[in-house]
Amino acid sequence: MEDRPVSPALKIAAFVMFAFLLAPVLLVVPISFSADSYMSFPPSGWSLRWYIELMDNSRMIGALGTSTLLAVIVMVLAMVIALPAAYAIVRMRVIGGEALLALFTAPLLLPTIVLGLAILIVFAGAGLLATFPGLVIAHLIIVLPYALRVLTTSLSGLPIIMEEAASTLGASPLTVFRRITLPMMMPGMVATAALSFLVSFDEAVISLFLTGPRITTLPVALYQHVENQADPLVAAVSVLLIVLTLAVVLIVDRTAGLTKTFVK
Amino acid sequence: MGTAQTMQPGFLSIRSLTKRYDTMVAVDTLTLEIPKGELVAFLGPSGCGKSTSLRMIAGLCPVTSGTISIDGKDVTRLAPYRRDIGLVFQSYALFPHMTVLKNVMFGLEMRKVPVAEAERRAREAIALVRLEGREDRKPAQLSGGQQQRVALARALVIQPSILLFDEPLSNLDAKLRDEMRAEIRRIQKRLGITSIFVTHDQVEALSMCDKVAVLNGGRLEQIGTPGDLYERPATAFVASFVGRTNRLSGVAEGDRISVGGAALRAPGSRRGNVDLMVRPHRMIMTPAGDKGPDFDGEPLNSIGGEIRDVYYAGDILNYEIQAGDQIISVERATTGGETPMASGSPVTLTWRVADTLVFGAGQ
Amino acid sequence: MSAAAAATTQPANAAGERPGSGMASTVALATLLLGPIIAVNGLAFLMPVFNLLLLSFRESLGGSTIGEAYTLANWSSTLFDSYYIELIVQSILTSLMITALTLVASYPIALYLHRSKGRWRTFLLVLVISPLLTSAVVRTYGWIAILADDGLINNMLKAFGVEAMRLIFNKVGVVIGLTEILMPYMILALLAGFGRLDPRVEEAAETLGASPWKVFWRIVVPLTMPGVALGCLLSFVLAVSSFITPKLLGGGRVFLLATEIYDQAIVTLNWPLAATLSMIVLVIFGAALVLYSRLLRAVI
Repeated sequence: MEDRPVSPALKIAAFVMFAFLLAPVLLVVPISFSADSYMSFPPSGWSLRWYIELMDNSRMIGALGTSTLLAVIVMVLAMVIALPAAYAIVRMRVIGGEALLALFTAPLLLPTIVLGLAILIVFAGAGLLATFPGLVIAHLIIVLPYALRVLTTSLSGLPIIMEEAASTLGASPLTVFRRITLPMMMPGMVATAALSFLVSFDEAVISLFLTGPRITTLPVALYQHVENQADPLVAAVSVLLIVLTLAVVLIVDRTAGLTKTFVK
Repeated sequence: MGTAQTMQPGFLSIRSLTKRYDTMVAVDTLTLEIPKGELVAFLGPSGCGKSTSLRMIAGLCPVTSGTISIDGKDVTRLAPYRRDIGLVFQSYALFPHMTVLKNVMFGLEMRKVPVAEAERRAREAIALVRLEGREDRKPAQLSGGQQQRVALARALVIQPSILLFDEPLSNLDAKLRDEMRAEIRRIQKRLGITSIFVTHDQVEALSMCDKVAVLNGGRLEQIGTPGDLYERPATAFVASFVGRTNRLSGVAEGDRISVGGAALRAPGSRRGNVDLMVRPHRMIMTPAGDKGPDFDGEPLNSIGGEIRDVYYAGDILNYEIQAGDQIISVERATTGGETPMASGSPVTLTWRVADTLVFGAGQ
Repeated sequence: MSAAAAATTQPANAAGERPGSGMASTVALATLLLGPIIAVNGLAFLMPVFNLLLLSFRESLGGSTIGEAYTLANWSSTLFDSYYIELIVQSILTSLMITALTLVASYPIALYLHRSKGRWRTFLLVLVISPLLTSAVVRTYGWIAILADDGLINNMLKAFGVEAMRLIFNKVGVVIGLTEILMPYMILALLAGFGRLDPRVEEAAETLGASPWKVFWRIVVPLTMPGVALGCLLSFVLAVSSFITPKLLGGGRVFLLATEIYDQAIVTLNWPLAATLSMIVLVIFGAALVLYSRLLRAVI
């Protein structure tokens, strides 16, 4: 199909809005190299002092460690839980599979502030507040919908005939899954892992309800820091987060195709 | 001969096989026996139940009722991976993440064949389908025809007791299809594997297979050699589905049938409304009043009409003749330099009584 | 939980699957595979949300102590209290304004994306999606850098000799920040709804004598209404429930439903009231959803 020429007015409008959309993310990069002791833009001088200060900030570094470990564990658990569920829904054609899928993705529709409060109240009674297992479970609730969605899409996109071919060649159902289904789902699994890691790593609202002085995640530490003082230290952390996000986006794009994962 | 043979138990024996979905019957009490080493086509229009039957034989689709046995062993409820069947899919179904060699070795691996022997046998199978030198390619690097050869090698290498083909050539272009037909026939004959070939292409079924089973609406219409099917179709459906035919309706009284104003004859005796079928190229057309052909004195039928249209189709001229309220199509081989008879010319059509097929009307 | 899964599972055979495995074993396997996700979902989602609903009918006895008896006190004290009525109305109005601004800002990008192709389109999509995956805290911080008294805009104004403006710790800052935060959602929703926009239709309108402006308003806008409706629903719902950005850019001076829920839950420890406010947010969600489906039926 031939392209329809894009009018200059649309180009200009799109460009201005792109600038608006990207401004805050782009701006933190120069600020992180500021030499000022408070945040101002443009900075009066340039330095690496805020990166050095970040290295010495035990609260931020500790929170970074917690967030990374949390995101990795949540990523692995999400895969272990969502993969069998996706298989049951797509390949075993469970009755009410659509309804189950809707139920399992429902946590995404609920505002995080409501979900955070609901989990806070139940966890307070169960002694899970401000504990690592509590954070893992809460993060799973918001990560699983993404994981399940990507995995079911990936699995239902796989033609079943490869699996049928393998079974006529003598492969048992478990062997078919291990040798044929799983390798063919690789791109979907990489996308799932990346997305799960990122969603957990960036989660702030629910964590805000569940963390405390004993345990805190990086987004929460960052939030609390900004609430008190918006100095360039936050920019230094932000740059690290942006670089990480970009890396994950690139991985997803290379393996599963970014467009396919996010745009139907 | 065709009907007599189906009564003996075959190597593959299918008895009253039925597949019922919620509201429809996809396969209806299919019964047939296939002797060892034969290549049998399942031929029919789409939705006739041929693919469903094949999938039931492979074990990919559960059977509602009836039995399937291979070499005397009942496999009706056996999982596909315990059946020892090779299946060649329409869209190849190669494993995209494995090389050609690994694809072909897969079935042997599942049968716990030692790696060295599996590789030797896989290479032999690859050579058999003439793909030497491409063992390490991935399926995506091969053409459609090559992929289908790999699929064939993968199904052959396990030396299955039955080899099934599910419209394996329909994704290939015409030239490649002809080559693959010959190739499949050559290999099947050489290895002597009992095979079923599902197709909707009658040329494919007639030219490749020992026998052809024609299915329609989930039922077996007829099974027989290609010659049986063409010359002695058991039903009106078979007559019209296999080859081209003219269908005339008439009223029978003994061996006499009146079609419009013409009195025709046919072998056998019947009474009432009937359909009468004649192959277009078995009818000889002569200008009205001329002396017609005498077919060495055999009994003949003839009917008068008027040319309504002439189509030129390269090797044949196709005339449409209006005979009473019926349209009859007649073919004449082109010879070059002739002048086609003009529309509106009165003609006489003549054919042997033996070439007149009669079926109860409305079949 | 597993009993529920077993009850909702049919034998694969009936659905036209492979034979060889009996009905009982298929049900057992499906239950096994779905067990973990059902357990997590039930314990950490269904149960807490149901508990929250019940809690909105209980009384707070100060601190985090909760009375045993069920009461409508929370509901009546929020729905008949002028402070909460004002809070709810303000939250809805602010969210509607943010939704409208987000639509205006996102539409050109979505339309441009819809008309671009290949690698350029992929690149632009990465630009749209990357902010989505960047923490809201980071992006809000970026807005503080732009809008603060010593930030980009005010320093630029000062350079031109214009008096600095207060753009932060008030509603202006919250609206600007949230508009940008919600743009990626709006753009992706618009794109999803742009499927019906066929360039041939626009060309047809042009050959019939419509000016580009006319084509836009008479052809493009009506055809993209489903995407607009979806994007607005999404933006509105997210705006009503957003918390990080109003809290940081509002500096504790902008009061919305979400920030009030947090304060009641964490500062005042009045969980029943927080639960009631949460339920009100869900009711607003439901109303938005109903309005959306009405709208969708009207435009299609």
